[in-house]
Order: sequence, then structure tokens, then C-alpha cells
Amino acid sequence: MSYTSWGYLLLFLGILVCLYYLVPLEKRWMVLLAGSYLFYLLASGRLPVFLIMTTLAVYFGALAMEREQKRFDAVRKSLEKEERRTRKALMVRRKRCILLVTILMNVGFLIFLKYYHFFGKNINAVMGRLNAGWQLPALNLLVPLGISFYTLSAVGYVIDVYRGQCKAEHHLGRLALFLSLFTNIVEGPISRYDQLAGQAFEGHRADYRQFTFGMQLILWGLFQKVVIADRAAILVSTVFDDPASYSGWIVVLAMLVYTLQIYTDFAGCMNVVRGSAGLFGIELAANFERPFFSRSIGEFWRRWHMTLGAWFRDYIFYPVTLSKINLRLGRMAKKYLNDHLGQVLPTAFALFFVWMANGLWHGAAWKYVVYGMYYYVLTLLGLFFRPVIGRFYARTGICRDGHLWQLFLIARTFILVNIGMLLFRANDLSAFGSMFVSIFKETGGNWLALGLDIYDMAVLAAGTVILLIVGLMQEKKWHIRQKIAVQSIPVRWGIYIAAICMVVIFGAYGNGYEAIDPVYANF
Amino acid sequence: MNELIKILNKVKTGIDYWTEKKLVSGGLLDSLDVMTIVTEICDEFDVDILPTDIVPENFESAEAMWQLVERLQED
Repeated sequence: MSYTSWGYLLLFLGILVCLYYLVPLEKRWMVLLAGSYLFYLLASGRLPVFLIMTTLAVYFGALAMEREQKRFDAVRKSLEKEERRTRKALMVRRKRCILLVTILMNVGFLIFLKYYHFFGKNINAVMGRLNAGWQLPALNLLVPLGISFYTLSAVGYVIDVYRGQCKAEHHLGRLALFLSLFTNIVEGPISRYDQLAGQAFEGHRADYRQFTFGMQLILWGLFQKVVIADRAAILVSTVFDDPASYSGWIVVLAMLVYTLQIYTDFAGCMNVVRGSAGLFGIELAANFERPFFSRSIGEFWRRWHMTLGAWFRDYIFYPVTLSKINLRLGRMAKKYLNDHLGQVLPTAFALFFVWMANGLWHGAAWKYVVYGMYYYVLTLLGLFFRPVIGRFYARTGICRDGHLWQLFLIARTFILVNIGMLLFRANDLSAFGSMFVSIFKETGGNWLALGLDIYDMAVLAAGTVILLIVGLMQEKKWHIRQKIAVQSIPVRWGIYIAAICMVVIFGAYGNGYEAIDPVYANF
Repeated sequence: MNELIKILNKVKTGIDYWTEKKLVSGGLLDSLDVMTIVTEICDEFDVDILPTDIVPENFESAEAMWQLVERLQED
């Protein structure tokens, strides 16, 4: 069951909203929990065995860490300074041990189920070359729905408990709801415990404004997904599935349309789930903030898949940067190289793990590793050449905030992101290489045989223009939903009905269209 | 405080660190700048900064950073 299917929108969501507001306030979380597990079953066709195992592992892991902390706190004041220090070190060691076991268990599920084939294939290739006479067996593994998303939420929760940023959850149902919430399970957003658990658990009263805002978000998300993304997918598949038949501007068009597709697909689904959560009074974290208006790669990643970026920042980038070994690296670089390298090397070292994790998180294939490294290199260039960039601005006198220069920076970032998208979508690394090279050749292929007719092309173009206008309005801080909310009832409902009609009439479904699964659901 | 301002100027020039109060929320420092500053502070003032200390409020101004350093030195 996909978030954009009628089964989800009319049956599942409709029934769940009715049930939620029919039961007493304090029992409403149970409706959400039951609904979330039912959704998992319907969406994946399998029992959520691994989700339950993850929930139990982090539940007991967090409680065990809390017990260690409480045991120490109980005697803390009665101890002498030296004894207190020793007991504290012991407590921290035990907590760290529990944390490590809990993380290894959960990340272990993820690595085994998602990456066994990838690592196995590569290890077997090496073994074959070495004539080792030993091979890893082929296993028929199925990756559980949403494992990449709920594992990160679960690991984030236990690390927060370890750091003392949140308390261990004693109510198993509350934790289970946080990890399984149907709006987040397929594609995120990757929620933080302190941001989501409380508001999902507490019963909300029906609120007209929140309800209409939720419906508006769902409609806007549907427009992005079924009018734009699913239509763009047809052109993208035509070119990317047969890359040898196309070159020049057609490959450029396919690359641009794929960027449009993945953005509207993912951001569209995010709007549908954020809108769905809004119907229950739950506010989910935003995952996108008009990323194509970014002026640098760093800014792009702060505005694209924001909850994933924030997770990598808080749980990989910060701890690796602050690790003793990394700080020592900086000190050595300062001593033996120069001040600038001493400053940037610790950051560069930590960024390697962030981008490697980012690449591998997206998929178990070499192209995803290269995808991560592509952004790593771009980030490093910005970091290492910072003094040169500073001198460039000083010498040329270019005004960094000038409109034309800002437009240039946006265009440069957009081009770099599109090259990354070409790599991301290409079937493999060699396909990416040949497609990239073919961009510089004469245009080859039939413009009129890309899977879309003139009508589809016109709808796609109009949809993109609407997307751009809305994006520009949001960049200018126009609060569109608030503006609609203050209109008179006929105008307001006129807009709603027009939007519904647009999705129904122009949506890419029915004869000639295939239902397209959300792109990020596969990660 | 002078030492801290020197570090900040080394990491990113062209900002009046004595008066600026919105270094992070105003977009003058990004997370890479903040982490470079953090590693420099750890090194210069011999303090241990934890990931939990890296919140925007602690890096909005030189004064906020200095308060963090003082607190960590007391710990």
C-alpha cells in the first residue's frame, strides 16, 4: 500500500482518523499503534518481526543504561572524590558497553539484511582471485520495509539516552509507537525521540485548522508525486534503461527530469505523510527546504533530506570530530604541516565517515559508495581551498551577496547536484561513465519517443513551473497556507476543489501508466 | 577572550566577533566552521567538548563560546 494509493488515502487514513477521534483521549495512541502495525503488514506483506526485535532491543538497552546511571547517582554524594571518579568511570564504561551491544545488534540486522549480498559478492570475487577455495554462501534475504529509517531512529534514541539528552522510556507501547508510526516507517522523516514520541503518544483533540492544513499538505504532496514525479519517471526510465541509444541534450534532459522526479517523489511523499500526521495533531520534522535554491553543496545537504543529514551530523560527524585520535591528528598536522591543515584535517577526517555512511545508506552498490565520495570530494574542495576562495573574493572585489553572483552560485550548485543525480540513477558506474561522456556528443535519439506525448510533456512543464513559483513564494517567506486560510469560504473551497480536480485529472495513473513506488522506500 | 577571538578570526575572517550575536542563526558560521572552531578550542584551552555541547546557542556569539569554555574549564 503506497501513500499515494486510494486504498491508503480513502480507506486506511479515513478509517484510522475516524477511529482515532472516536476513542477516549487517553487511548488514542493505541489506535495509532495498531494502525501502524496494520499499515506495516499491508505495505510489506510481512510480519514486522525485525521491527519488533529492534523495539525490544532498544527498550531494554536504554533501561539497562538508566539503571547503571541511577545506581551511581544513588551513592554519588556519599563518596569521596577519588572513589566517586573511579565509580563514575566504571558506570560510564558499563553504559558504553550496553550502548555498543545495542547499536551493534540493530546495525547488525541492517548490515546483514541490506549489505550481505554486496559485501558477499565482493569478498567472493577477492577469494576467487586468491584461489582461496572458500566462498560466502548465497542467501535469500529480504530487506524489511523501512529498516534503514527505523534503525536510525532507534540508534539515535539509545545514543540520546546514553548522552543524557533524553530519559529511557519505561512504556513499551510509547516506544513501539515512536519506532513504528505509519507516517514515518516507509521513507522517514527520521524522527528524534524527544521530538516525536510525546506528541504521538498524547491524545489530540480534533482541530479544524490543523486538519485543513494537513489536507492541504496531502493535496500538495499528491500533486508533486502523481502529477509530476510519476509522469517524469516514464521519460527517465526510457532513457536510463537504454542509455546507449541516447546522447547529447536528450541525456541532459533525462538527467534534469530525474532530478525533478526524485525531488517531487520524495518531497511529495513527505508532504503526504506530514499532512497525514497533521490529521492526528502530530507535527513531523520537515525533510526539505527548497534545496535547489542552495548556493553551495553544504547548503544543499542542509536543505535536502534534512533529517538524514542531521542524524549523520549528530551521531557520526560530531563524535568522530571530537574523538581523541582525531584531535591528535589535528595537532600533528599543525606541528608538521601548517596551521590551515591543522584546522581542517580533523573535520575532513570526520567527513569521510559521514559521506561513506551517506553513500552506503542509499544502497548496497559501488555506485552509491562513489556517490558518497563525490560529495565528500566536493566538500573537501570547499574546505581546503577556503583561503584561496577568500583571496579570490578579496582580489576580484566580487560582492558575495550580489543578485547575479548569487544566481551563478545557485546554477553552479544545481549543475553539481545534477551530475550526482546522474550517478545516482545510472544503472551502474560504467553506465554513468558512458552517459556522462555522451552528454558532450551530438544529440542522438528521438525527442518524440521518450515515453511521453505532447500532452504529458505540457503537464510536466506546467507542473514544474507551478513548483518553481511556489518555491519562489516560499523563499520570499510567503505563507501560502495561511493566506488560503484567511480567504472567504467560497474562495477557499474553490481552491481546494480545483486542487483535487487537478490531481484527479492530471495524475499519472490509469491506462498507459504504471503505479510507481516511492523512490526512497527502497533505501 | 582575546585568544578565542584570535581563533575565530583564523577560522573565518571578515566577521566582527566582538559584536556579532547571530553567528549561527545568521548563517555566518556553518557546521563545518563550528566544528573547526570546536577542535581549535579543545586544543587551545585544553577542554573536552562533548557532542551535547554543540548546540547553536553555544556558538551564536564569541561571548557564548567563551562562557562554554569557562564552564568546561570549571568542570
